[in-house]
Amino acid sequence: MQLARRIVVRLFGGAIMVLVVAIFTFFLVRLMPGNPVAAEYNTLIMRGMTPVQAADEVRVMYGYIPHEPLIDQYFHYLWQLLHFNLGQSISYEGVSVLHIVLSDAPWTIVLVLLGLITSFILGVTAGVIAAVKRSSGIGNVLTVSGSLLHGIPQFVVALLLAFLFTTLWPIFPFGAPYNASLTAGFNLPFIGSVAYHAILPVSAYAISSYGGWMLTMKSSVISVLGDDFVLAAELRGVKPRIRFGYIARNAILPLFTVFALSLGFMFGGSLFIENIFDYNGLGNLLVTSISNRDYPLMSGAFLFITIAVILSNIVADFLYSVVDPRIRRST
Amino acid sequence: MSLHDPVPAPEDAGIQIRNLTVSYDTDRGRFHALNDVTLDIRPRHITGFIGESGSGKTTLAMAMMNAIHNPGRIDGGSVLLEGAGDVLRLKGEELRRLHGRYFGFVFQASSNSLNPLKRIGAQLMDLGRSHGVTDLRALLREAKTLAERMGMDGDRVLTSYQHELSGGMRQRVGIIFALVLKARVIILDEPTTALDMLSQQAVLEIVRTIHQERGLTTVIITHDMGVVAEMADRVVVLYAGRVVEEGPTQSVLRHPRHPYTRGLIHAIPRITGNLHDVEPLQGTPPDLATIPTIGCVFRERCPIRAPICDTVAPTPTSAHGDGIVTCHGVDQHD
Amino acid sequence: MIAEQLPQTPLVRPHRQSFLHIAWRVISARPSRILGLVIIVFFALMAIVGPLLYPHNLPINPNAIYAPPSLRYPLGTDFEGTSNLALIVTGARYVLFAALMAALFTVFFGTTIGLVSGYFLGPADTILMRITDFILTIPGFPLLVVLSTVWNFGQPIAMGFVLGITGWGGLARAVRSQTLSLRERGFIEAARGLGLPWWQIVFWEILPNMGPYIAMNLLVSITGGIYAEVGLFYLGVVPFHVNNWGVMLNLAVFTGGAMQSPQALPYLLSPLVCILLLTLGVVLFLDAMDEMFNPRLREG
Repeated sequence: MQLARRIVVRLFGGAIMVLVVAIFTFFLVRLMPGNPVAAEYNTLIMRGMTPVQAADEVRVMYGYIPHEPLIDQYFHYLWQLLHFNLGQSISYEGVSVLHIVLSDAPWTIVLVLLGLITSFILGVTAGVIAAVKRSSGIGNVLTVSGSLLHGIPQFVVALLLAFLFTTLWPIFPFGAPYNASLTAGFNLPFIGSVAYHAILPVSAYAISSYGGWMLTMKSSVISVLGDDFVLAAELRGVKPRIRFGYIARNAILPLFTVFALSLGFMFGGSLFIENIFDYNGLGNLLVTSISNRDYPLMSGAFLFITIAVILSNIVADFLYSVVDPRIRRST
Repeated sequence: MSLHDPVPAPEDAGIQIRNLTVSYDTDRGRFHALNDVTLDIRPRHITGFIGESGSGKTTLAMAMMNAIHNPGRIDGGSVLLEGAGDVLRLKGEELRRLHGRYFGFVFQASSNSLNPLKRIGAQLMDLGRSHGVTDLRALLREAKTLAERMGMDGDRVLTSYQHELSGGMRQRVGIIFALVLKARVIILDEPTTALDMLSQQAVLEIVRTIHQERGLTTVIITHDMGVVAEMADRVVVLYAGRVVEEGPTQSVLRHPRHPYTRGLIHAIPRITGNLHDVEPLQGTPPDLATIPTIGCVFRERCPIRAPICDTVAPTPTSAHGDGIVTCHGVDQHD
Repeated sequence: MIAEQLPQTPLVRPHRQSFLHIAWRVISARPSRILGLVIIVFFALMAIVGPLLYPHNLPINPNAIYAPPSLRYPLGTDFEGTSNLALIVTGARYVLFAALMAALFTVFFGTTIGLVSGYFLGPADTILMRITDFILTIPGFPLLVVLSTVWNFGQPIAMGFVLGITGWGGLARAVRSQTLSLRERGFIEAARGLGLPWWQIVFWEILPNMGPYIAMNLLVSITGGIYAEVGLFYLGVVPFHVNNWGVMLNLAVFTGGAMQSPQALPYLLSPLVCILLLTLGVVLFLDAMDEMFNPRLREG
């Protein structure tokens, strides 16, 4: 019951956040130099449309028309948003923003998720080893390499990977999420091609977030090793395997609090990684929509990236409360 | 010793500690936490280890179980367990089997000696599995009976998490963990610390009853002379990693012979006594880094210091019938 | 005025001389830390005096377009035949200055909000922490990209301000939790008992105790700032006002085709190696900062 309540509260909080972000993008577009909404309207008038036609056209794109008072515009925009109408793209003429965003989102989410899982597993494992062997050579090597990888920015990782493995040693394909000559669908060559093409970008995500997990896990394990219950379990003669489980489960808990930061970081990285490896995901969409001055599309892409981060955070919070009885039973 | 059928602890689990030396590596150098400790823990007795913090009483208990960890190190000596041989020679699986089966260590109430993420019952089953218990239900039944004997709701305790228990309950759960595998030697670390007066009495009562019922060998680590007086058959007074006095509790408390023991006893305020009679112990508890390496370690705080104390370390001499005292001044003052 | 009767020095203030003394002892304890410090000083000098060594308009050479590294062009040349070394050195100023500004703003916002939140608690704390959670959840880099459509990043200080205002969340949370533990300490309770005004307690008594931690964050924020701004320029969403490392990356990849043809490679690798080197320097030096901050480690 309490768990359900907690999730509802989090979902409600998430919805408010999404709303705030929607307000933000709305006013951002309105405040832009040259007011693109009004500019679009004027362009349409110049093309010979009647004011009514032009206003309709603009409303389809942005969800509101420029002559209304700001507050009316805002409520029209929100009203459309509540109906999952994000307006129409300008650069892809006549296509709804929602359609574009939804067709691009899976690429981003799948790649980020794969990168997240890979880096989490590797980072946690390396963190445990680094903590247990912290006074030996292996521990030092792991810690230093973790700190370095943690420090290197994502675009540097992605550019280096692309350069090393597609140009210098061309073992992986460059650009495009799959071989265009194959027919897209649920067939083996296509899926194989997608996986083959995904290795480098997923590695880029994984490498750039591995260090963070590793360092956090290391310090967490070190602090858990000092807890009374670890010594108590040893003095009770609990089997090493079971004891390791005790330590690991307790040490992983603090990592859930890092999730928010990490997810924001990874979705932020999609802007570079999709750009460098030429994926049609949300990150690339955001960048190209800005270059094309396609503001409805920009707002939609940004809103979706935010929603993805917020939802993943709620999932992480849910997992956290499943693992930690102290949270599950209280509040 | 076969792993699958460990030798059950014998009825009379006595422990003979010989020349036990333990040192700790610190940033200021390596220091002895225990120095050449020789001691017999008698079976079916309650033995009290008493001393200020830093006296080595907890280290002694840990060393008895061969559970000294980095930066500590056992430098020498032996700990002979009835029926199991020298504990200090055991390692790995053999040592693990001994922990829990032979020894039961009970943490103080303020410590979190249970995995916060698992129910008590599940942790008991982990304990059972670790020691090859096949009938886990019987183990849980046994734990439940013990819990109820200690005045707790057995079912509730087994389905609880650590954070749902009070300090006193945690400690009693710790006692259950120590007893459930029928360990013969129970070691209690500061059993009354961090408990209110009523809980203290309850815990001591439980310990005494079970000790007698099962014929256990019990060690109580404490800095509270009152607990020793109330519970212990024999008392071991430790100072700076050395046994300074040892003997039957009655005799040691009535006729303390080491000036340190006298100081400890005089430092106890009595409800019925006059507060002016209380003499706080002079000086500060020993710091391992600054205790003298030559001569008597207690001399800086000693009211009966003599020139010989600066140069020669006192050796244990017989006292209290079958006990010992380690002081140059005993002959003159007895 | 009780405050005036008190000694001018706060109750706890790091002694300047002894701090520098400790700092040097800690740094010189390991060669890697000295290397880190040398790298950081090297780049700082590059940013301060580097641009003075070159003419305002860097010379171009149509005969040496994408020239490989040579004695005349140690890092090769770009698409116009301009020396990559000159581009790196002159570009360092904007990059590092904007990053410094970003770090200062981050530390300013993060520390102030964390201190106020942790000291006053109550509704102020609730509101500030909600905002902090919000800032932490919104993906920072996409937000910057979106902001770049309205914000003019031409001046380093403008770039730094935006980076700061989107990046203070983590620091605010950490400062808040430290403030919470410090406010229970004896000397803070004493200061409150003396009736000192809140700002004096917060900024003169509590803040100095977090000095090393904040200094560490300043360094981390500088590198974070460098990555974010170079990233923005690399993606090309920010107009190129001045030459800098991100612009070089962008032109090398999108115009020079460095990914497909090796001729523009020196142009691509020069800024990449600079960023890697600077990261290395900071990571090595942070190890020393960590030890200075954590006295338990210092004893060793």
